[in-house]
Amino acid sequence: MLRYVSRRLVETFLALLGTSVFVFSMIHMIPGDPALMVAGLEAGPEVVEQIRRELGLDRPLYVQYASFLANALKGDLGVSIRTGYPVAEEILDRFPYTLGIAVGGTVLATVGGMLTGIVAAMKHNRFWDGAVMVLSLLAVSTPSYWLGLMLMLLFSLSLGWFPSIGIRTPAHYVLPIVTLGAQSGGTISRMTRSAMLDVLGQEYVRAARARGSRENSVIVRHALKNALIPVISIVGLRFGQLLAGTVLVESVFAIPGVGRLLVDAVLWRDYPMVQGTMLFVASVFVVVNSLTDVLYAVVDPRIRVTSP
Amino acid sequence: MMAAGRIPAVAVSALLWLSCTAEKAGNSLIFASTADATTLDPHNTTDSQSDQVIWMVYNALIRYDEDMRFVPDLATRWSVAEDDVTWTFELREGVRFHDGTAFDAQAVKANFDRVLDPEQGHNRRDLFAPIERVEVADDFTVRIVTRYPFGAFEPMMAHVSAAIVNPTVARARGKSFGYSAEATSGTGPYKVVRWRKDLELVLERNEDYFGENGKLETIVYRPITEAASRVIALESGDVDVITHVPPPDLRRLEENPDIAIIKTLSIGAQQFRFHCKREPFRDPRIRQAISHAIDRRAIIDNLMAGMVAPSTGPLTPRIRGRAELGEIPHDPEKAKALLAEAGLPDGFRTKITTTPRYNMGVEIAQAVAAQLAKVGIESEIEVLEWGTIRQYWGGLLPEDCPLEIFIMGAGASSADADWGLRPIFATQERNENNYGYYSNAEFDEVIHEAMRTVDPSERNALYRRAQEIVYLEDPGAVWLFDNYHVVAARSNVAELTTSPLGLVTFERASISSE
Repeated sequence: MLRYVSRRLVETFLALLGTSVFVFSMIHMIPGDPALMVAGLEAGPEVVEQIRRELGLDRPLYVQYASFLANALKGDLGVSIRTGYPVAEEILDRFPYTLGIAVGGTVLATVGGMLTGIVAAMKHNRFWDGAVMVLSLLAVSTPSYWLGLMLMLLFSLSLGWFPSIGIRTPAHYVLPIVTLGAQSGGTISRMTRSAMLDVLGQEYVRAARARGSRENSVIVRHALKNALIPVISIVGLRFGQLLAGTVLVESVFAIPGVGRLLVDAVLWRDYPMVQGTMLFVASVFVVVNSLTDVLYAVVDPRIRVTSP
Repeated sequence: MMAAGRIPAVAVSALLWLSCTAEKAGNSLIFASTADATTLDPHNTTDSQSDQVIWMVYNALIRYDEDMRFVPDLATRWSVAEDDVTWTFELREGVRFHDGTAFDAQAVKANFDRVLDPEQGHNRRDLFAPIERVEVADDFTVRIVTRYPFGAFEPMMAHVSAAIVNPTVARARGKSFGYSAEATSGTGPYKVVRWRKDLELVLERNEDYFGENGKLETIVYRPITEAASRVIALESGDVDVITHVPPPDLRRLEENPDIAIIKTLSIGAQQFRFHCKREPFRDPRIRQAISHAIDRRAIIDNLMAGMVAPSTGPLTPRIRGRAELGEIPHDPEKAKALLAEAGLPDGFRTKITTTPRYNMGVEIAQAVAAQLAKVGIESEIEVLEWGTIRQYWGGLLPEDCPLEIFIMGAGASSADADWGLRPIFATQERNENNYGYYSNAEFDEVIHEAMRTVDPSERNALYRRAQEIVYLEDPGAVWLFDNYHVVAARSNVAELTTSPLGLVTFERASISSE
């Protein structure tokens, strides 16, 4: 188990290093000059040149990368070109909002998805099964941008139940979380249903039923526990995707999270901010995935045997 | 790795945050802007989102009133000497900055020294280049000497970047001045008490203000980038005022009895520019042909929902020194004749570059392309994101610039003809501000003479000539329309100030319970 974890650590580090190279070269390859963006439309050439020097953009690329990497290893992600604030501070400032809706979205998607999936499996080929499948198909295929606006129109404007934009009270979290969780919820629902159907057809479930176990106990003790295994891996992956997927939701609901920060940074060609945010999101993604793998190994002993 | 360790602390701070951010209080107004202010340092500002907050927090020596006349602000009187270069300002006494520091002539001098100092690298240094030096005559008298008689001196002094910052705080904060609530200090009717980037910027009434106190206790600026979300937030009452109403939503909002629409003709106009160093755009007849081929009325009526007005000159009616030259008529036959005269009777192929950053930027380009096709000019449309198109406007030599016909929003942030014409049409070797490499010797001569003319009637005559050249004889652009600045507010909000500069301010605004 220890060797397994340490190997995962090395892999994680390499993945992050690769990400940093990728992110650094990507942002420098897309056209656009940060000094021009900072200077504004009416500035003269000398002002632009001076800004470029101050930002260190006149140095060769490999020098810029080396200093970025050296600082990043110390936990210093540089200073935002646009605001002059330390990048790491800005990210940590905004991460709570992103984390809040991503965790909320994951919980909603997991609980909702699993419950509906189980119901569908138990009512196999009956009305509720069909209803759940149609609903989850809708959830999977609705763009979150559109869904967000529709929820706002219905629940904020027409019914007045929830605030439309911003993020200040718990009520503000409801619509963004639903918007974000819907797609994953649909996926998890379909996953759970097929995993359950698979397990319910297995020999040991039939054996348990034959022994006269009560149906609830068959579902919870025998079927659910085994059906859970594939679902866990999906939930872990989904959480990472939700973190990255908050970009649209944050824009629609005007939430100042990491996703918005990244989009604004790209539009502004704020190099340090783009690099820092991407590296941060990638780190969270990689860490969550590693944790999921470990959790997987705990739940399913077969994983530990096959991958020492 | 770093993330994993920090999460619990961060989560705790998130919970704390939930309990302590501003809720809508009684005498408070919430304004949804399109983006957060970038800086509250007037010497660095280049965007209207920042400018409108700066005007609430700072004062300048003089300023524009709503009819674009100059009125006293921190100066009570001002005059120019016989030499046309020495301007004397008598300052208001008893004014204090938000931290209690007294305002005086030294503060004014410190401000202009600050923005003009090349070492400090402020974005707005170029704007103040005509100033040679600032002298303190006595505690409340300042003399500003320009390098030459400068016709646009007053517009320069009424520009948002001439707002007076607290020199003590500015010196102590250095580069970080104006980038946080604590590092912002002016004399204005409101002071910044909290600024959470991209979430909210909160102003509180300055009880010690020298002028009439504001009626609102607090003003909250809340950036909402999505236009559709902004509109829903206004309709549901979550915010009180929004700006930049999208054309497709305008009619619905106009019909809503709870909402009032305020339209102000702005200093901004939408144009298409040409790469004038590239064939066939070197020939003024080609540029005239394109201008006549375009049906501006069709674009205005069908795409802009009446939120703009047809251009009648290169500068909008709100700009000082503008000349009324009439609409360029839509005349495809004349366009064809001009093309033939220029030796291209069958038209030519070109590329139109646009950006979605401008309201309906892509749709306008599509309409223009279709209209040009009717006179034989075939064009491909290229859509670039702002950061990309901006890079082609950054001091390139003509041969390095790939643009041919391209969209551009233009306005004079000082609301004066000098700043509206000189930077963008006077000859430049590279496209530093004159993005289309426009060059016309007579225009250059007239514009530079006008710049050095202080007498208003002489000045206006020179600018009229300059505008005739660039608009009619040797067109430097296709002028499409003059923009309106459109603001929508809940009907219980009174006395908003909207300026042609695209700003919304709240000095006298009030809000009654709905």
